[in-house]
Amino acid sequence: MDSTIKKYEDLLRRYNILNSISKIVASTRELNKILGITLKGVTFGNGFGFNRAMLFLIDERTNTLKGKLAIGTETAEEAWKIWADILQKNYSLEEFLSLDKLEDEKSSTLNQKILCTSIPIKKNGIIEQCLDDGNPKNVDLTLNGFTDKEFIIKDASVIEKEIMDLVNHPKFCMIPLICRTKKVGIIIVDNKYNNREISREDCIFLMMLGQFAASSIRNTIIYDELKESLNKLANVNYQIKLLKEYNENILESIPLNVFVVDKDFYITACNKNFSELIHLPKSEIIGENIRNYNVKISGYDLIEEVEHVLTNKDIKVFKNVKIELFNKMSESTFDFTLVTLKNSKENIDGVIGILEDITKTVNLEKLLEEAKRFSELGKLSAAIAHEIKNPLISIGGYANRIKRKYFQDNEFDISNIEVVINEISRLEKILDDILYYGSEKKIIYEHMNLSLLIKDCIKMARVSAQLHNISITLISEENYLDNEDLIIHGSYNNLKQAFINLLNNAIEASTSRQKISIDSKIVAEDNKNFIEIKINNEAIIQNEKDINNIFTPFYTTKIHGTGLGLPITKKIIEQHHGSISVESNFENGTTFSVKLPLLSENGHMDA
Amino acid sequence: MKKILVVEDEKTIRNLYKEELIDEGYEVITAEDGLAGYELFKKENPDLITIDLKMPNMNGIELLDKIRKEDKDIPIIIYSAYNEFTQNFSVWAANEYLVKSSDLTEFKTKVKELLLS
Repeated sequence: MDSTIKKYEDLLRRYNILNSISKIVASTRELNKILGITLKGVTFGNGFGFNRAMLFLIDERTNTLKGKLAIGTETAEEAWKIWADILQKNYSLEEFLSLDKLEDEKSSTLNQKILCTSIPIKKNGIIEQCLDDGNPKNVDLTLNGFTDKEFIIKDASVIEKEIMDLVNHPKFCMIPLICRTKKVGIIIVDNKYNNREISREDCIFLMMLGQFAASSIRNTIIYDELKESLNKLANVNYQIKLLKEYNENILESIPLNVFVVDKDFYITACNKNFSELIHLPKSEIIGENIRNYNVKISGYDLIEEVEHVLTNKDIKVFKNVKIELFNKMSESTFDFTLVTLKNSKENIDGVIGILEDITKTVNLEKLLEEAKRFSELGKLSAAIAHEIKNPLISIGGYANRIKRKYFQDNEFDISNIEVVINEISRLEKILDDILYYGSEKKIIYEHMNLSLLIKDCIKMARVSAQLHNISITLISEENYLDNEDLIIHGSYNNLKQAFINLLNNAIEASTSRQKISIDSKIVAEDNKNFIEIKINNEAIIQNEKDINNIFTPFYTTKIHGTGLGLPITKKIIEQHHGSISVESNFENGTTFSVKLPLLSENGHMDA
Repeated sequence: MKKILVVEDEKTIRNLYKEELIDEGYEVITAEDGLAGYELFKKENPDLITIDLKMPNMNGIELLDKIRKEDKDIPIIIYSAYNEFTQNFSVWAANEYLVKSSDLTEFKTKVKELLLS
């Protein structure tokens, strides 16, 4: 009776221990803590009271058991000392489990050993059997012959050598750690120092504890893996986000107008440039169907072209086209590309439209062509002029001789020969203009005072202006053009020719009693200072074509003009890094504006 | 009488300059290119030389260089159909540079000035 009571008391105590252990284990997600508590529970004196406990976990990758933790001492003396200490202090289980003894245990020789232990799971070995049938293996190598004890193993040959070496004791018990069907590891316990028999009840309780530990360990591992994969996932998400952002940044920064339509012609994406191009906010573009836009590409229907690209899975490029949107033609010229949008599985998701504004390029090409043409024309003209000039000099020279030698007294003859001479000198002037325009000579620059130059030019122009009863006034005489500091870097003679041409042009355009006025001011552009000189006359250029061609060589509206005066002026101004423009209207007449860069304070030219 | 060498490939202009300068009272010798001009310079020892810039067989600049190496003082006038010589600093070795014109007043004035100085 006593023994029965004792047995039940024992059982109750063990259940309590199991309960305590499971509660504490369930409260943590740290694998090391779970392993520690489990083994401490196994070795607690008032509990299972095993002398030593060792825990191994399965490494699935290599199909080996890896030693993780061992509690217990290597020598009996050490063991007695520790147990005596614990017993003396009379810890409760909870106190014992939470006791920070684990660090000491970890540094024990046994633990050092087990951490280095890696056991390949042998076919039909004790480990495999234990994990396969899920039953405890109670080893007693001291037994010989028949035994009726359950779970008893007496055959050393099935036991892995590594276990024999580590345990180094003929009696021990191996508990499988299995969570549902998942094999987690094993626990080995023994009573090396007090040599207590491991009973069937011990085995059953160990199994219960093992099951509990296994699921905790398994959960922890899953939790860690989950945490890790969540981290990875978050990382991947982050990377995807970065990649997306990166792609979007590229899309936004490229100087192209990009939009994407899906197979049903709904716009799924576009960049800022595209939204600016069609003057609609992105929010109003995305989700819109391009059918509603009625887009034409230089006459082609966008919908048909997109359909074509979708069906033929190809790319379509329209060069040099104008885009018609909402029945309005674009001012800009584009290269328009339609290309299929493929997803990662190489399936076509839609079509990407890329519009490259090539207006500037086209305009530049036009200008370049024009410049080339004029350059060639200039060179050709110069070559011809050069050939003509020599005979002309001879004709003129001899005409002069004839006049001087033979017609000194006869007024009729003199006036006749003078017509020849004057016409020749006019021809010579034309040739000089052509030669000047066509030549590619360098200008010899010097520091020069622009106000003096302008005043010189005005003085010269006034002579012929007065003949035609035209007045020339310098409006800001007191201001800029009187300024001695109005120094520029240029060729006095060339600039003089440029301004004389402008003044002569103004005189020729004016009629009697009209006024020519010259104004000037200093303007700043891009942090550079320019002197702007405006030469205004009262005549109006009515024909727009005349204004547009005013600087075109050989374009003239005058009977006696070479059509080179203003082109030469323009050339000279541009050689001086300046600019010239013309404006004509009813209120103000015609104004030529010349801008020339001023020398900056450090003496360098600003432009 | 001062002797003037006119180096000019264009025959009519050469004759025009010759006659005009003779009228002014100079002795005039002429050459039709730079090479002939150099030989005459060596042989005839002129007081003044007028040189056209563009000529076959040694152009005006080459002739000017060659003469200046031997004679630093002889007055030389360089002229051309248009003011292309501003591109070339070598012409500065000449005493005068003129643009050809049917009006020879300036040309004759320069010749006179250079021979006086």
